[in-house]
Amino acid sequence: MIVCVAHNIISPLGSTSAENYAAVKSGKSALRKYEGLWGLPEPFVASLLDRKAYADENHTIDERIVIDSISNALENTKIDVTSKKVLFIISTTKGNVFLLDESENGFPKERVRLGMMARQISKHFGNPNEPIVVSNACISGVCAQIEAMRYLESGEFDYVIVSGVDVQSAFIVSGFQSFKALSPDECKPFDANRQGLNLGDAAATIIYTKKDEVSENEWIACRGAIRNDANHISGPSRVGEGSFRALKVALGDLESEKIAFINAHGTATSYNDEMESIAIERAGLSSIPVNSLKGYYGHTMGAAGVLETILSMQAVDNHNILATRGFDTLGVTHHLDISNQNRTTEKRAFIKLLSGFGGCNAALLMAKGGLQ
Amino acid sequence: MIKHQVYISPSEVLVDGIPLNHNEKDSALLTELYRNHIGDYPKFFKMDTLSKLGFIASELLLNIEGNRDFEPREDRAVIFFNRNASLQADTHYQSTIQNPENFFPSPAAFVYTLPNIVTGEIAIRNKYFGETSFMVIDDYDEKIIMKNLENAFQDPITKSIIGGWVDCSDEEHFEARIYLMEND
Amino acid sequence: MDELIYTLKQQIIEALNLEDMKPEDIDENATLFGEGLGLDSIDALELIVMMEKNYGIKLKDPTQGKEIFKSVAVMADFIAKNRTK
Repeated sequence: MIVCVAHNIISPLGSTSAENYAAVKSGKSALRKYEGLWGLPEPFVASLLDRKAYADENHTIDERIVIDSISNALENTKIDVTSKKVLFIISTTKGNVFLLDESENGFPKERVRLGMMARQISKHFGNPNEPIVVSNACISGVCAQIEAMRYLESGEFDYVIVSGVDVQSAFIVSGFQSFKALSPDECKPFDANRQGLNLGDAAATIIYTKKDEVSENEWIACRGAIRNDANHISGPSRVGEGSFRALKVALGDLESEKIAFINAHGTATSYNDEMESIAIERAGLSSIPVNSLKGYYGHTMGAAGVLETILSMQAVDNHNILATRGFDTLGVTHHLDISNQNRTTEKRAFIKLLSGFGGCNAALLMAKGGLQ
Repeated sequence: MIKHQVYISPSEVLVDGIPLNHNEKDSALLTELYRNHIGDYPKFFKMDTLSKLGFIASELLLNIEGNRDFEPREDRAVIFFNRNASLQADTHYQSTIQNPENFFPSPAAFVYTLPNIVTGEIAIRNKYFGETSFMVIDDYDEKIIMKNLENAFQDPITKSIIGGWVDCSDEEHFEARIYLMEND
Repeated sequence: MDELIYTLKQQIIEALNLEDMKPEDIDENATLFGEGLGLDSIDALELIVMMEKNYGIKLKDPTQGKEIFKSVAVMADFIAKNRTK
């Protein structure tokens, strides 16, 4: 079984998983309105890190927060990261893309290559293997975990360190603005008045290993799948095809009653949330509670799949279904069980669901103590 | 396991190791291949060079496989690696926002600033509901790529993969080395 | 108006990379989306940028595009009435 050994989240809400969970549970959000930032002509709402706090002449902010996140996750483990049996997988969509701006001259331009960025990280830890970067749009964080599971199953590595990261810049924000995809206010996932998404900075790390025997308190990554809508490169399928198929594989033969909740993508764009409601119904999971964490962090892109998996594990540990901040009135055509309040649960499994540009979708089933 | 393979560089095209005749080079080569071997998919002209490259390479690969019925299927994955991610599209998009006096961010350029779009283009063309994935490593490494593609057969539905290396840094520098693989 | 329609057709072909098309191939009264030219949602967003860049028209509400992008003729009419450059 593929077991989670340790994890960490670095975000504007905290520098450890515990700090982040406590903040989210109490309803805190780091979303703020920014006007004139980075020379952008239009204001936007985002969850941003204090750049000065992570200033480092040798590393860009992306590299710095990944290094900090991995270091924190490793703290209470005895993993020898200099071993050939340890693999680093970095999940990111845009990495150091801000280096393309002509006025940026603090770092070599070659660091814009994602593989070069990843090498800064593995080099920092003295790891001898070529790091692998998963860059599969907004589903990267779940894809990276699925890759980790496969590498561990194959026996090639003993530990895989999965770290997701994206840091916002004029490049990314203006792009989403050109898509008319950003909400002028804090986002409202699945709500009738949702107007789009917010973007966010974060790094999040999960370390996985393979074990034959697990205790009832250990988290197991059971099954994951990536599926395509085969419909459109920027708009989700109107019938939720890819998400539905990914959900079906992740669920497998598990009875749906065993699932505490589905942690949806829930970006709060009109099309995404509607599509997820259709996919969840098609998969026969309409009665399972659903939540979205975008109201706390915005869309953290390459970090999202890792960050949201960690918070969901902590929520189950805490017998809690986290509230969907920003939600008020259901605004999708298919029934979903969503609440803007924390709710209790005694169940021990959840599904993490994501979808992204390129028509890709991913689902991952996590279960505490494994599937009995 | 490898059934067919296609190689494309700015000056050379090999289909199962056999050179394919052409007159053009660089990105004009991709347009020539489109006109001579595909020709009925105008969306091609909207793609960035990385997507054009992956799309053409996959079309040549699937033409040798034959039996192109475009029936929906979930058992075929599209998994690519490269070095430069979406650098050419990124550079193009950056040019639409670089000058504050001429700041017109282009949505059509932005959508291609994700390397996995090429896998989506191939899935859409062929109605593949299967896995699509994109990974980046800083140097071409056949061992890493082959091991990863082999691992992808751990998916309970995946029976075949269009996979390999599809890299592009600009219109004169690109390389596709892709395979059609079956699990046997 | 005919001149604006012709220029507009050229600009649409360029903005949307309609490689194999010439202005003469576009019927200014035919629908741009769906059946007609077969344009999609990204094309619509790109046309919004094109109108801003070339004619100084800023669409506040992107859903407005649905009406304006009905055909080249409708678009030309809207541009003639609202252009600032």
